[in-house]
This record gives sequence, structure tokens and C-alpha cells, in this order.
Amino acid sequence: MARTYKIGIFDDEGKFVSTIKSLQEQKFLIFDVFTPYPVHEVFHLLKRKSRLPTAAYIFGLFGIIATMAFLYYTSVIDWPLVYGGKPFNSFPSFIVVTIVVTIFTVTIASLALFSARSKLFPGRDNTIFDIRATDDKFIIVVDTNIPDISAAGKAENIMEENGAIEVIDKEFENVKA
Amino acid sequence: MYNRKIRGPLIEGNKSLGQITKEIASPMEMRPGLWWYIAFVLSSVATVFGFYAIYVTVYKGIGAWGVNNSVAWGWEIVNFVWWIGIGHAGTAFSIFLLILRQKWRTSINRAAEAMTVFAVMCAAIFPALHMGRVWDAFYIFPYPNTRGPLWVNFNSPLFWDFTAITAYLLISASFWYLGMLPDLGTVRDRATSKLKKAIYGLFSLGWTGSSRQWIRFESLSFILGGIAAVLVVSVHSIVSTDFAVGIEPGWHTTIFPPFFVVGAIFSGFAMVMTLMVLIRKIYKLTNYITDNHMDAIARILIFISLIMGTAYLTEIFISWYSGNEYEFFAIFRNRITGDYTLQFWGMIVCNALIPQLFWFRKIRRNWVGLLLISLIINLGMWLERYNIVVTSLSKDFLPSSWASYSPTVIDIGVFVGTIGLFATGVLLFMRYIPMMAISELKSVAHIGNKKED
Repeated sequence: MARTYKIGIFDDEGKFVSTIKSLQEQKFLIFDVFTPYPVHEVFHLLKRKSRLPTAAYIFGLFGIIATMAFLYYTSVIDWPLVYGGKPFNSFPSFIVVTIVVTIFTVTIASLALFSARSKLFPGRDNTIFDIRATDDKFIIVVDTNIPDISAAGKAENIMEENGAIEVIDKEFENVKA
Repeated sequence: MYNRKIRGPLIEGNKSLGQITKEIASPMEMRPGLWWYIAFVLSSVATVFGFYAIYVTVYKGIGAWGVNNSVAWGWEIVNFVWWIGIGHAGTAFSIFLLILRQKWRTSINRAAEAMTVFAVMCAAIFPALHMGRVWDAFYIFPYPNTRGPLWVNFNSPLFWDFTAITAYLLISASFWYLGMLPDLGTVRDRATSKLKKAIYGLFSLGWTGSSRQWIRFESLSFILGGIAAVLVVSVHSIVSTDFAVGIEPGWHTTIFPPFFVVGAIFSGFAMVMTLMVLIRKIYKLTNYITDNHMDAIARILIFISLIMGTAYLTEIFISWYSGNEYEFFAIFRNRITGDYTLQFWGMIVCNALIPQLFWFRKIRRNWVGLLLISLIINLGMWLERYNIVVTSLSKDFLPSSWASYSPTVIDIGVFVGTIGLFATGVLLFMRYIPMMAISELKSVAHIGNKKED
């Protein structure tokens, strides 16, 4: 089903941020905002949080334990061999491989998680609300599919009052933020 | 935090966001000049020569090289260590400077990371070839095999080296690609032809620039940056253990890991400088890579050059102070004097003395000076690796096993080939990928500009 969105386009970071604030004061549902570079105030206002660091920590723990277990299994249990008179479980010299493999695990697993959570993968639909978002414009998208008919007009007013250079309506089918 | 009066603006010319997109994307959107085609043909010829040399090596075996029973490691290992060193530029630049919050890295990190990826690819060719039977190279992967299963020796620095380099290549390539996503999105949205839109659309993975994507992107960049910072130090330390764990005089020293890491960052920064001088000259990007940027790299180089000089002196001092006569012989009779004086003194002059010219502001601000000195440093770093690898092996404990070493055409061919491969990679990078991180430039565009004060 196609849904209509109200799209406000700004060319100034300050005006863009203040518009988000006034829209939120009026309890509008901001679908998402699109910017050419990360604007930290927006994360704060829209309460965006990333749990990737926690996930990365867990991947790291998994990497360390798995690598250590693998090295122990191969060198002590499966095929013990004496190298230069060292014990089978020569822990200090296993650390090097463990560090490298752990870093590698964290990198690949976090990338995969990032790709899954942000829904970024090859072949994904490339339609976006307004292509100027990747160039030099800041874009606010408000979902106006709410029962109150007058809300759409009100959102437009707020955006224009705050200095939007353009406010447009667009219809999209199943668009993802 | 950032003092404009001292440092000047980060990006000159009060650029608007639209201008930044346009100016960085423009080299990809117009036909490259004649120089590009000439350079591309030359580098392709070099690469083809390299492939021929690799073919001969694989067909005839390691005997095609100049190595012998005593000097079993020759140019190939020298080149391997040299390329890995150059490959430290990207990570040192993007990651160390990211963690230290040095914002001036933004106009340089993309190119530095590209260099890293190509340099590590070049480096990886050498150990694989050096195995002799390159078709059996997969034996080094520890997988449950039908040979026992016999596992690899996890205590061996050579295996650590393999792990470190494989991981380094994949991680730096991922980090490079991740940083590129927003810019690929930008290029996709600017593309006019359908084909270009489809290709960049595929590689940008559907980037939209939404706040959800940005926060995850930023946090992932910091995670990868933070944990890959370990790699900047670990990779070359591990490479140094290939030598330091051996008992050859001149190798068996505890100074090696830090010495190698510093050397790697030295040659990496020098290569970044070479490339940046050329890029800003050719593409007229002096507003983005300002004189201050080059100045900052030059200052880092002086500092590292002093560390290198100290390390050389330490090696010489300890070889005498330790009272080990073999160590003394290796340094005093086989490097400072003897058959390899040219390489030794070349190393000292190129790495420890000539970079000191950067103390002069005039030289730091002169592009010819920067280019020449950066090339000299890279030559010096190559000589340093030659010194370490060849001199120690050529005359060890037993005079009966002494041998001299000289490369063959095939040795030279593989090296020329990797230089060609590297140059080809860099040329393609200049043509098809935004050379600077556009989105990052936009976020720092205002820093140090007059409006802010």
C-alpha cells in the first residue's frame, strides 16, 4: 500500500535541527531524517541508539574463547607434538594467533550485523526520499498517514516557518528508513 | 580545541557542502587526462612483466631467483617486508589519527587506506611464491584435513605472520569499504548514466543517509577503528618475529618489534606523502590537502626519522656492549664495513639524515622537496630491509657457509611487477572511487573557518 510522506528539505544544519525540535513539541511522528553527514544532535533528539558496541564485545569474547579452545584442541588433544621442548599447551605463544583471530572475528561479525540491522546489502532497492540528501541537503520525513487530516498541513507550516527551502509530498510503497 | 590562528582552516576556501561533493566527485565524472592513460599503460606493462616473472618462478621453482643455501631469503622477503611496511600507512593514518581525533586526516585517509589494501596485496604475493610449491599454499590453513589431521605449528612466527597478514588484508579492505558506503551513495545519486547508477547502486548497498544508518555507521567505524588499532602495532611486530626468533646474528635482538613497527609507519607515511603530493598537484585539490596537511605529515616524518636513527645507534651500541662476537661481526664487519657498506650507509643517509631537512619550513612547503624526500625515505626503507635480510644470512657463524647474494632478472621482475600492480590499483582508485571521504569532509568543513570565530 502506498503511503504519503511529507518531506521537508533544509540547507542549513541549525534550521534543520530546530525544526525537528518544534515538530517533536507538536507530537508529530518523524519517520526519519536524512543527512549528508552524521549530525549528533539528531541522534539525541530522535533517541537513536546503537547496540553494536555491546554486540562487538560479545563477538570478541566468543572469538577469544573459540580460538583458545581450537588451539588447545589441536595442540593438546587431537595431535600433540613437541615443538622445541615446549609444553603442548604453550599458552604464551598462542596469544598472538588469538589476538589476530579475535580482531578478525569482531570485524567480520560486526560488519555482518551492521549489514543486517541497517538493511544494507547488495541489490537493495536504491530509491530514497530525496537524492539531495546524499549531496548537501538535510531532509526530514514526517509520516502523515494519521487519522487527523489537518495534521499534514500543520507539519508543512512548521517546516516552512523554520526555514525549509522546500516542502513536498511523496508517495512510497514499503519504503525503509 | 582547534586553534585556527595556529593551524589555519582545515579546508580552505569556505566550501559549501554542494561544492565539496562536486569537487571531489569531479575527477570520476570527467575523462582522465592523457597522463592517466600513459601511466596506466606503463603500470600494466610492469604488471605483465611481473606476471611473466611469477610464471617462471612457478614453472622452474625458486632456483630462478638469486637465493642460495646460505642466503635463502633474498629480494622476495625484502620486498615483502617493504610492502607490508607501506601497507601500514592506511591504518596508521585512519585509525591512529581517528583515535587521537586528528581531524586533518579526513582528506587523506581514503587514499591512504586504498594504498594499504594494494600494498598488502602486493606483499602477500611474495610469501606465497616463496613456499616454492605455490599450489600447495592452502596447506597453511588449519583445517581438518586428510593428512592426519596434521595441524600447522601454532608456535611458529611464520604461521603468525600468515594469520596477521590475511587478517590485516581483509580487515583493512572492510574498513576501507565501510568508509566508502556514504560516498558511493553520493556518487550513485549524482550518476547520469544508467549503467553507472546500477553499478554504484550495487556497491553502495542502498545507502540512504538516514539517522538509523548513520548512528550504526559511526559506531561501527569506531569499533573497527579501535580494534584494528591493535593491528597497526601487531602486524609488523609479528613480521619482525620472523627474524627475531631466529638465531642469526643481527636478527636475534629484542629491539626488533618496535623497530619494525616504527619503520613501517615511517615508510607508510612517506608513501602517503608521495601520493598526496601528486594527487593535489594533478587534481588541483590544494584546498582540501592544504600546505598545512603536508606540513603535518613532514613533521611526523622528522619525528619518526629521529626514532629510526636512535634505533640504528642502539643496534650498533648493543652489538658492541653485549660482548657477543658474532653480533659484533654482523654489525661492524658486515654492515658498517665490508661487502654491504653501500646498503648500510645508504640506509643511514636516507632514513636518518636526509629527512632532517624537514626541519626547514621552506622544504616542508615545497612540493618538489616533499616528493623527493618521500621517495628517498622509501628507498632507504628498502635498503634497511635488504640490510637485515641479506647481510645476516650471507655471513653467519661458520665461514664455510658464507655466500654472497645478487638478484636475478626474475627477482627484479617480480618486484617490478608488484610496483606495477600497486600503481595500477592506485590509478583505478583515482578514476572510479571518490579519492577523499566526502561525507567526512562535509562534517569538518566548518572547522577553523572564519565564520566560526
